[in-house]
Amino acid sequence: MSLTVARVEPSIAGVGDYIELMKPRVMSLVVFTALVGLLVAPGHVHPIIGATALLCIAVGAGAAGALNMWYDADIDALMTRTSGRPIPRGRVTPGEAAGFGMTLAAFSVVTLGLLVNLVAAVMLGFTILFYVVIYTMWLKRSTPQNIVIGGAAGALPPMIGWAAASGGISIEPVVLFLIIFFWTPPHFWTLSLYRADDYARAGVPMLPVVAGDRETRRQILIYTLLLAPLGVAPWLLGYAGPLYGLAATAVGAIMIVLALRVRAERTGYAASKQMFAFSILYLFLLFAMLLVDRMSGMAFGHIA
Amino acid sequence: MSTVSNPVDDFTKQFMSEPPPQSGVKLTEQQLRARRARSIAIALALGAFVIVIFLVTLVRLGGNVLTRPM
Repeated sequence: MSLTVARVEPSIAGVGDYIELMKPRVMSLVVFTALVGLLVAPGHVHPIIGATALLCIAVGAGAAGALNMWYDADIDALMTRTSGRPIPRGRVTPGEAAGFGMTLAAFSVVTLGLLVNLVAAVMLGFTILFYVVIYTMWLKRSTPQNIVIGGAAGALPPMIGWAAASGGISIEPVVLFLIIFFWTPPHFWTLSLYRADDYARAGVPMLPVVAGDRETRRQILIYTLLLAPLGVAPWLLGYAGPLYGLAATAVGAIMIVLALRVRAERTGYAASKQMFAFSILYLFLLFAMLLVDRMSGMAFGHIA
Repeated sequence: MSTVSNPVDDFTKQFMSEPPPQSGVKLTEQQLRARRARSIAIALALGAFVIVIFLVTLVRLGGNVLTRPM
């Protein structure tokens, strides 16, 4: 009987490769929305505790990103958008990425639980688990509703931030969750419209791949029509001031106009690309306005 | 008269009398540089972790640090 041992070359992975595994661009949005959740929550949180919570949330998001890249390395290699990631490029082995992700996940959740509070830690652990197991391992390769349901993971950070500051959950952070939840499908589907070939090659059943352009454009419009009033909801429910209400109405109207243009588009993807780019700005502006509102004295969650 | 070899002597001769030739993996310059960078990053991360624990301990305990049974 012969024993074959696979020879593993010593790693050439640099620090930058590991940072890339943590999906820093996704992480920045996670940190920003969590920061808003943390700052608009009622009560006072000590800056050191708040910064620790944000650090744990950022590291937790990075862990989820690394575990996603570990599991998806095979399909990442097939798609133009993702073929330059550290594992397909051969800079990091899948095992290294998995170990890195698991270590960060354990550290971030335990640290958040010990130094901030248990509610936030349990939510962070659930978010990582949901993103890796429910979205990455299960839904992504099996249903066109992958990013709709999986979007819950991306929508949870403001709730974690809120829980870190207040120790609990109430209706206000749920509204923030719903805004990101309904923002995710139009955001990703506008991208997948002009990246459909990539997804088809990798066998990922994104909506344009399995239902076609026309249906995707219709659903982008439906979700945007649901999103726009949700964006205004914090003002309508009395959690935010009129300045926020005005800004949310304006950017919501722009989103609807862009979705109508995507729906009407027959050739090319100019409108889709435009809406994809604006959707990032839309979410940023909504959350930034909540912060401005909070700073200007109108306490989110406290009806004056 | 025949000589009987002692298995312990044989073992010593074969494996312990001479140091084994230098073998194993030789790292390239690039691999060495990458390993050093990773080691420094881990050291910085651990240092940052210690500082975070220290600061949060100060914040959590506050003035209670001095309030203890003598």
